[in-house]
Amino acid sequence: MNRISKDAVIIGAGVVGVSIFNDLTRSGYDVAIIEKELDVSTGTTKANSGLIHAGFDCKPNTLKAKLNVEGNAMYPEICARLGVELKRLGAYVVGNDEEAVNNLMEKGKANGVKGMKKLSNSALHKLLPNLTPEMTTGLFAENAYIIDPYFYTICLAEEGVINGGEIYFDYHIKSIKQTANGYVISNGKEEIITPIIFNAAGAGYNDVAKLLKSELYNVVHRRGEYYVLDHSEKDVVKSTIFPLPTKAGKGVLVTPTVNGNILVGPTSYESDDTTVTTAEGLADIATKVKKMVDNVNLGKTIRVFAGVRSIVGEDFVIEPSQKCKGVINIAGICSPGLSSAPAISQMAIGLSGLKYDPTIRCNKIAPYTNLSKMSVAEKNALIRRDKDYGLIVCKCEGITLGEIKDAINRPIRPRTMDGIKRRVRAGMGRCQGGFCNDKVAMIISQENNIPLNSVVKEKSNGYYMLSRSGVNEKL
Amino acid sequence: MKNYDVIVIGGGPAGMAAALKSSENGCKTVIVERNPFLGGILKQCIHNGFGLHYFGEEFTGPEYAKKFVEMIEKTKNLTIMTNTFVTNIDGTNVDITSQNGVDRLCGKALVLAMGCRERTAGNILLNGTRPAGIYTAGEAQRMVNILGKMPGKEIVILGSGDIGLIMARRLTLQGAKVKAVMEINPTTSGLRRNIVQCLDDYNIPLMLQTSIFEVLGDGRVEGIKYGKVDDRYNRIPSTTKTLKCDTIILSVGLVPETDLVDLPLNRVTKSVMVNDYLETANDGVFACGNFLHVHDLVDNVSLEGAAAGINASEYAKGKLSKGKVYSLTPDGVISYVIPNTVHSGEGEIEIRFRIRARIEKSNYVIEDESGNQIMKKYVMAAMPGEMQTIKLKRDLIKSNLTLKVVKL
Ligand SMILES: Cc1cc2nc3c(=O)[nH]c(=O)nc-3n(C[C@H](O)[C@H](O)[C@H](O)COP(=O)(O)OP(=O)(O)OC[C@H]3O[C@@H](n4cnc5c(N)ncnc54)[C@H](O)[C@@H]3O)c2cc1C
Ligand SMILES: Cc1cc2nc3c(=O)[nH]c(=O)nc-3n(C[C@H](O)[C@H](O)[C@H](O)COP(=O)(O)OP(=O)(O)OC[C@H]3O[C@@H](n4cnc5c(N)ncnc54)[C@H](O)[C@@H]3O)c2cc1C
Repeated sequence: MNRISKDAVIIGAGVVGVSIFNDLTRSGYDVAIIEKELDVSTGTTKANSGLIHAGFDCKPNTLKAKLNVEGNAMYPEICARLGVELKRLGAYVVGNDEEAVNNLMEKGKANGVKGMKKLSNSALHKLLPNLTPEMTTGLFAENAYIIDPYFYTICLAEEGVINGGEIYFDYHIKSIKQTANGYVISNGKEEIITPIIFNAAGAGYNDVAKLLKSELYNVVHRRGEYYVLDHSEKDVVKSTIFPLPTKAGKGVLVTPTVNGNILVGPTSYESDDTTVTTAEGLADIATKVKKMVDNVNLGKTIRVFAGVRSIVGEDFVIEPSQKCKGVINIAGICSPGLSSAPAISQMAIGLSGLKYDPTIRCNKIAPYTNLSKMSVAEKNALIRRDKDYGLIVCKCEGITLGEIKDAINRPIRPRTMDGIKRRVRAGMGRCQGGFCNDKVAMIISQENNIPLNSVVKEKSNGYYMLSRSGVNEKL
Repeated sequence: MKNYDVIVIGGGPAGMAAALKSSENGCKTVIVERNPFLGGILKQCIHNGFGLHYFGEEFTGPEYAKKFVEMIEKTKNLTIMTNTFVTNIDGTNVDITSQNGVDRLCGKALVLAMGCRERTAGNILLNGTRPAGIYTAGEAQRMVNILGKMPGKEIVILGSGDIGLIMARRLTLQGAKVKAVMEINPTTSGLRRNIVQCLDDYNIPLMLQTSIFEVLGDGRVEGIKYGKVDDRYNRIPSTTKTLKCDTIILSVGLVPETDLVDLPLNRVTKSVMVNDYLETANDGVFACGNFLHVHDLVDNVSLEGAAAGINASEYAKGKLSKGKVYSLTPDGVISYVIPNTVHSGEGEIEIRFRIRARIEKSNYVIEDESGNQIMKKYVMAAMPGEMQTIKLKRDLIKSNLTLKVVKL
């Protein structure tokens, strides 16, 4: 059996695991991520509201409050370094309960959130002309951002890889044994030895904890469903608009995305770890959003999806295991987990005894090729250099063959169709890949030199096409 | 920058017919097509049933396309640009992207013949999981007929439009098991001949007023929960059943590719509105084919494309003279009518429309403002799936008009 030794291993390539991976590689450690799926960012990190919250609605004196506010402050610099778009649109909270608004203002103050202001009824309706008349009071927080959560996480992971980190995809842990030299993690083919493990497996936390025989938590899952609206609707709201929060969460919000779509959702239903959407859930969102904003046209839906929150009590759990020395438990990272991720990483690294020093390895990733951001002259220069930049593959988002090839030939080579979608948006538009899925599958097959019928959508059993005789070849 | 008299966007049957007529009429014409070939959707329709009306003979889709491609290749004055995307329309000019770079084509007239796209799982709010194994019918058709691959083995088709029916037969012939075709409406929207030839002949069950409630499966489709819906499309939960399958094919409607146009759209056709010269609200911009409204027969597409091509070329020459304009409004069971406005003058207008429900032994009637019938046509029986056509002489047009069905 192949045996590799690492300074630390992170289990789970969501935004939390990848943030730790990135910080440790830049600090000069030899680390690896173990991920059961074929790409980074296939869990909760790909299915959320994509908001970097200001941090006013977390209960004061919790990890959530502290890490959200800290994480929020770290995002601009990280995104600038990675070349990832972060838009500071600010966020509104609206409703008709003055008391509740005051309460949020107070919490914001307690949590150290700057740039909040209360809005009168008239100010509110002036700023948000499409608000329903029932919305009479609210607040605005300027330090709220929108981000593409999966693209951010991919870039963060790529930077980790070029700084020496390794990611094991499709790695299904069979056993973790504690030995004198550290933990031996095995999938039956490849063993990894490490003194330190970060359990950042998200919804899979307890599965990993069972293998480790570390602490199990009572994890409750709450599913959140969404509508994604067409680019045609991009101007219906210019900032994120929340209703006043309830016990179940932040409520059904409407927000622009960095790519010019609109998200409407989420629901909050207790469920098992599944990302199904339901007719009831979608109907629930439709009713709720209508009460808040009156011009959201759900008839312009191009996609529905759902993500799962993993909740442990009221707060995040980030602590060293009492049962397994060198293991850091990271559980219950529900919202605002994305916003907090950079700060969660620093805290977890601190608890592990490793030293955060990002001056050791400073390689930077090359920016993604993006023709939509270029002038005509730049485009023509590029097409003259390589004709592939003149051949559009995804008609809805205008993505060329050259851009897709470039996205494959990166520090982490995507081998799934959804992987391409998350990197360059081919298939993310209004036809949802009806036009380009087969072309994308062919490009993946060619660039990675794998048979066409072994190309999968997302999961290893999710083949896209069979050969005429009805067989698919496993990767 | 390049100059043309007439620019045609889309090299399907509509665009090819338009470009042929325009260049025959002496105009310097260009066809811009994003695919590597001309023919549009026909290239993947390898079944027969094309051309009976236009050529008096039955062809497959590629054969029908080939007839036009051959004529086009012989035509002078006609430039073909394939692998070229129109990315923006500005009046009668277009911006294109191709392997030669980004460029602008300037035209005196423009013909929109971009065809349709298919409605998706997201559009119909298909619930449950979102695994691999859900395809639009056109995507599956391309996979089988052009790439020589298969989408799966055990298949459920949602939607009983023609494309769904044809794919049911195609996949069956290719060795897949088509377990059911499900239709949310009480009647199918496909042509009668396709129900018989594609489903009945192969014992494929057609389940009416039935829909998929939930998709099952994690990485790949593993099955569905389905059941009956009532007349208002509400699910009847007590009828829920589970069916094992690995593939779901959606044939749930086509939407004109209007992304590039900035014109008001008709609620029913979801496309631009035109006058009897097939000209849109933007001067010199004409529309035809599936872009204008979804056709069931390619023959009508070619006729409409040809008309658009003639009118566009006349416009480019400055010779398109029009009389007074009046509205033409559909009434009652008629769901939409093309054109939306008509002009008085000379010649004859081809009026195309669809009905919402089956009708029998009736007259199609055109009334003027005072309720006088200015023309009528007897119809024995007609179905919503079949596009209807009548002709109207321009010299009869003297006021705003209404198109109706009068039951006899
Ligand atoms: C509906 C909804 C909306 C949200 N909106 C926001 C928001 O707007 N702002 C915000 O800050 N936060 C938001 N959140 C929270 C945020 O999305 C999460 O906190 C964050 O994505 C969690 O990241 P993670 O890395 O912990 O988990 P994940 O992204 O789920 O990553 C865990 C990874 O571990 C892998 N894994 C699991 N088990 C194993 C195993 N046995 N072996 C190997 N790998 C394994 C998984 O495959 C997965 O890749 C939202 C959450 C939801 C559900
Ligand atoms: C599965 C199926 C089965 C059918 N069966 C029959 C049958 O049996 N008998 C029959 O008579 N008819 C049948 N039809 C109907 C008929 O074939 C279609 O109505 C007809 O092909 C539509 O022609 P079109 O030119 O309008 O559109 P299309 O054929 O769709 O052509 C439009 C073209 O425009 C191009 N285009 C779009 N946007 C751009 C852009 N921005 N830049 C450049 N190019 C662009 C597209 O690539 C495409 O080639 C069938 C249709 C389908 C889909």
